[in-house]
Amino acid sequence: MRTAAIDPPGVQWLKVSPKYVTVRLVEWAVGTLLLVAVLALPLVFVQFAGWQWPPLWLAIAVPGLVLIVALWRLVLIPRQVRAIGYAERDDDLLIRRGIFFQRTLVVPYGRMQYVDVAVGPVERALGLCTVKLHTAAAGTHAHLPGLPTAEGARLREQLSARGEARLAGL
Amino acid sequence: MSLKGSQAAGSAVHTVDAGWHRVHPASPFVRGWVGLVAVVYFFGRDAFERMLQGRSLVDPHFNARVPWLLAGGGAVLLLAVGGFLLSWYFYRYQVAEGYVRVNTGFLFKQQRQARLDRVQAIDIVQPLLPRILGLAELKFDVADAGRSAVRLSYLPLEQAKQLRATILARAAGVAGVDGVAPVAPEQLVVSVPPSRLLGSLLLSEHTVAIVLGAAASVALSVYTDNDAILLAVIPAFLGIGAAYWGSFNKGYNFSAAISPDGIRFRYGLLDTRVQTLPPGRIQAVKVTQPPIWRIFGWYRIHVNVAGYGGGERHEHAARTTLLPVGRKAEVMRMLSLVLPDPGVDQPERVFSAGLEGLAPRGQTGPLDGFVTTPRRAWLLAPLGWRRNGFLSTRTALLLRSGRWWHALVIVPHQRTQSMTLQQGPLARLFGVADLVLHTTAGPVSPRLFQAGVEQAVELFDQQAASAREARQHESREQLPAQPPISIQQKSIQEEAHHHG
Repeated sequence: MRTAAIDPPGVQWLKVSPKYVTVRLVEWAVGTLLLVAVLALPLVFVQFAGWQWPPLWLAIAVPGLVLIVALWRLVLIPRQVRAIGYAERDDDLLIRRGIFFQRTLVVPYGRMQYVDVAVGPVERALGLCTVKLHTAAAGTHAHLPGLPTAEGARLREQLSARGEARLAGL
Repeated sequence: MSLKGSQAAGSAVHTVDAGWHRVHPASPFVRGWVGLVAVVYFFGRDAFERMLQGRSLVDPHFNARVPWLLAGGGAVLLLAVGGFLLSWYFYRYQVAEGYVRVNTGFLFKQQRQARLDRVQAIDIVQPLLPRILGLAELKFDVADAGRSAVRLSYLPLEQAKQLRATILARAAGVAGVDGVAPVAPEQLVVSVPPSRLLGSLLLSEHTVAIVLGAAASVALSVYTDNDAILLAVIPAFLGIGAAYWGSFNKGYNFSAAISPDGIRFRYGLLDTRVQTLPPGRIQAVKVTQPPIWRIFGWYRIHVNVAGYGGGERHEHAARTTLLPVGRKAEVMRMLSLVLPDPGVDQPERVFSAGLEGLAPRGQTGPLDGFVTTPRRAWLLAPLGWRRNGFLSTRTALLLRSGRWWHALVIVPHQRTQSMTLQQGPLARLFGVADLVLHTTAGPVSPRLFQAGVEQAVELFDQQAASAREARQHESREQLPAQPPISIQQKSIQEEAHHHG
């Protein structure tokens, strides 16, 4: 993976499973379909129920624009998934994500309160899981999605063990 | 926690100080006096009015009904008092073996226990009525964002103080087995005169917003020739007045004192509160100065404490205020209390630079120690680029920001939870990045704005390392063998559990 400018030097990123793209695609499809369907309702009413307002061009433009934005996001999904990376260092876990808006998160093992492993229906079908780390800070949004189940279990055990060894008070 | 564990702990307790204590017998009446008064008023109003008018106690025309009414009222009253007495009887607490335990309820029992070494802060609260009766509530928080504070209400004030001293001494690991700790002596550090509090409220940002809003509504009503707008403003003003009164009531007579078991704050006009923060419990500090306050050189200080949580409610706002308004010298004194070792040689000079320092226009490097936004990125923050900066000392990270709204945030290294380095497309264009530090919930959210990418990445790496070292040095706190607080609920009827 190309190392971006804000990444700490000398970090070897591990990537999440490429199959996670499918999960994101399903999420995208459900979300977009619902949104476009709701936004297209005025168009239906204008055409078939004789509504005077909104004008036809507006009724077409709103769902059209939303669809274009959604398609743009669809194109980005594979790159976004490729941009998710994590690295286990000696004392902390690094998680990076994002292309346009990049963020690199560091969670010290000693700060972890607990580790969650969550599996959604689509993820389960693909043999993936999401590992979530929790610290005493609510702002820590440390989700690591799209890990193969075995890797997720290994990471959870590893993180718990390291966390216990380095657990510090608040 | 298993029942077996609690029994084992319980038997160990009996050998040391097995004492289960009860709170003051008046407590349920103080808590539920409104209900009692309502019952008495509802049933006794008629008879009472007659008595006042000097007539016979019972209306001769309703002879048949009145005794029933009185009997009904008496029964309800008796039930209420009986309930109060029962709830008092079953409300017991114990301080032993590193735990505070509180048992409540007679039908649905609840046992709440908190580890003494996990106590983050301890308050003595006196609402108006208990204050008149010389009673006080003892309330202490453990580190779980304020969801489950342990309360003991109400105790006689002296007893509450004694208990607080005992808990704090044991929390600090000072007291031996022999129990009662002496009440620690205090030394006053800072006090805020009421006149300055009033001035600070009148000159706060809220006032500016209100004056602007009032001017706008007057202008609007003149322009549209419509007086109804002015009428609509009246309830808004009542609400604003209530908010000011609330702030004044809470902040009145604020004083901070130092004692061996922590920093002690007192404040309140009608309801008073004494708050004790044991040393090392503060997660992050923020000193701010709105533009108008600069005329008088006033500042205020807020903190994040793990047990206080981040609620919007007024109580939280008051509790997370370390200094509602103070001059610079007082700010320095408070900072030296909460950060005894700032990790620099001249802390006052560094804090001053953090509060009002401004980097020179030219690229001459950091003069006052703060690394600011590089000149190339001035377009992103045309006002703040010479202010936004950081300084990492041996023990803490200082973040300053705001050209008009001066702000200085201090996070001790060993309190850093996790960090995010962020960069959007615009920031990438100018070669800068933001660093966000995560701390426990509270009014302070530390963020370094627009630091040069090289410095930000270096700080990110370095900060992780210094936080690690600081944590390793801090060996005072032990590993928690059990969660800091645990609640057991069981009912007499097993079915009740299933019904929810």
